[in-house]
Amino acid sequence: MTESRDVVIVGAGAAGLMLAARLAEGGQSVTVLEAGPARQLSDLVSSQIWARKLKWSEPAVSESGDHKIGHAFNAGSGTGGSALHHYGVWLRMHEGDFSVQSDHGVGRDWPLSYADLAPHYDRVQTEVGLSGDADQERWRPQGAPYPMPPLPLFAQSRVLAKGFEKTGRHTSPLPLAINSEPYEGRRSCQYDGWCDAGCPIGALGNPLVTWLPRARAAGVQLEHNATVSRVIRDARHTQRIESVEYLQAGERKTLRADRIIIAAFAVQSVRILLSSAAAGHVAPGNHSDQLGRYLMTHPAATTFGLFEDETYPHQGVSAGQLLNHDDYDQKDAPGGFGSSQWMIGHAIKPHDLLGYGTGRPDIPGANLKTWLQRAAQHLGNMTLVCEDIALPENRVTLSDRVDSNGIASAHTHHDLAPTAAARWVQRMSEGQEILRAAGAQEVWSSPRIGMHIMGGAVMGDDPATSVTDSFGRVHDTANLYVAGPALFPSSGAVNPTFTLSALASRQADHLLGKL
Amino acid sequence: MAHDLSRRRLLGSSLFTASFLILGDRLTLSPAEAVELDFTPEVLRRDQLNIIATVAEQLVPGSADAGIAAYLDAQLRAGNDSLLIGKYLGVDVSAQIDFYESLARNLQKALQTEQATSEVLSAMWSDIQENWEGPPASYMLFVLRADALDVTYGTPEGFEALGIPYMAHIMPEKPW
Repeated sequence: MTESRDVVIVGAGAAGLMLAARLAEGGQSVTVLEAGPARQLSDLVSSQIWARKLKWSEPAVSESGDHKIGHAFNAGSGTGGSALHHYGVWLRMHEGDFSVQSDHGVGRDWPLSYADLAPHYDRVQTEVGLSGDADQERWRPQGAPYPMPPLPLFAQSRVLAKGFEKTGRHTSPLPLAINSEPYEGRRSCQYDGWCDAGCPIGALGNPLVTWLPRARAAGVQLEHNATVSRVIRDARHTQRIESVEYLQAGERKTLRADRIIIAAFAVQSVRILLSSAAAGHVAPGNHSDQLGRYLMTHPAATTFGLFEDETYPHQGVSAGQLLNHDDYDQKDAPGGFGSSQWMIGHAIKPHDLLGYGTGRPDIPGANLKTWLQRAAQHLGNMTLVCEDIALPENRVTLSDRVDSNGIASAHTHHDLAPTAAARWVQRMSEGQEILRAAGAQEVWSSPRIGMHIMGGAVMGDDPATSVTDSFGRVHDTANLYVAGPALFPSSGAVNPTFTLSALASRQADHLLGKL
Repeated sequence: MAHDLSRRRLLGSSLFTASFLILGDRLTLSPAEAVELDFTPEVLRRDQLNIIATVAEQLVPGSADAGIAAYLDAQLRAGNDSLLIGKYLGVDVSAQIDFYESLARNLQKALQTEQATSEVLSAMWSDIQENWEGPPASYMLFVLRADALDVTYGTPEGFEALGIPYMAHIMPEKPW
């Protein structure tokens, strides 16, 4: 063990690379350890089959429960992490998302408020580049307007918008980390719907084009194929973490650092901490048996319709083009519990997990090609995202499965709270009504899936009921931090990348002594 | 090399290629080309791939010629680098070979009866197929159908067949 850094960050995703860039620009020596391979823009070929290479594979994560988290689909691997394949929906959580326990007696509160994060939402949206129309988002919390105008609307979204209008609902442009015009030297979008395979032209603000260039310019060292097995406590000062142990090219290595940040997405961050229990010491952050608990995933599904109108659903971006949050702040409305949103008008392919052909096994083979040809011209689709409720029984644990290097795999268990499930059923039914109002002749829906992964190392004021403080510092340590969606005490019903980035921005200011 | 490659029907010159054994030589081919040239399976047995391809063709016509058998065999050979959709659907990479072997065994049993293939498929979708072992029949069929869609319609040629402009940022040039 010869080398020592100011900061070691585990995970080269949205949170990890942002922290690396900010801390290195602030004068810190920073090394990032990434379990997956090095990726560059030229790796991002336009194929849904190729896109699967960007997702997490090993060590495999086993899952149980009635609403599994879908780790293999949601988690990424390699430079950029899951943000490399994310669709770029950057929404702020609403004020009420931070106080669900106080307001409704459900789930958990955050140890901070929207007002604490608002300046960081504003700063990050300028650094990353967001397109949208804040004025049309009647439900949007207070914040600076977007730096770019919204993306143009294509035929599919214009058709679907009629259904919202006819049922008395509202839509706004979907705010996206996708350039509607050239921004900070990056090109504007070409609207060809390959976002899930990763955007190689730099129009979508994935970490390869946002934080990585800044991190490299500031001198950050980036180690790939470096799987972290555990963090090691200082033998003399047990509140301090002395080093990180990792495996690279078959060799077991350690790296010493003054501060260590675990930003390895929700499940792997917890796996690393749980694996760090040592003789006489429970795992960091687990003095109160809170580590791994409150795992969350948004209950989500897509609803589809076939229209007489031509919709050309290959056009646009994977995320969709319009947004509806009319019901978002009515968490305790009759019918269930929780916020919900519609993302409207996704560019979509005929195959792959979310493809329209995959979801219709009832179409006989003899009719399939004709049906697909019709869908390719006339299909509309939109996705419902509902709030998950943080429950202590939903958790990450270590499985009995150990790989050849002695690293235990993670196991996740997630059941959906009945009230959250009821809300999902209610809103899906409304979604089908909206599509019929828009003129759909045939309507169907996908099964419920888990979208996004949050929780497991939740932040809070009380060490007895949480893992970290509001800056992500693990309660029973002096220099160990968690970053990313693992910190979320509640899920809201919005895509988490903007919020985890705002949290990381706040953490960076704290670590640089600015807060 | 004794093969007459000029007889290849390129099936749209698919850019998805991998190495396949053709009469003892290793050639870089698309799955469709590999099937056309009667590739030598390296993971599953030929009879297993044949029954799987037969059923896939019923679900997604065109998938046999598009090379579903060669695609599955090549992906199962890829180990942790497998790109089969199964990993999204609860089939861990480490369990994929067992999954397809089990599928082939079940299909061989199911199709030995005098029932029409369409009736067997209907029973499978309803999970009432007798003597089915392992994961539910409807689930296994769903995964196979998704594979068949990948091979048939997940390529530039497949998009073209549906009238969809592919509009690649970067056209895939290497094996999955």
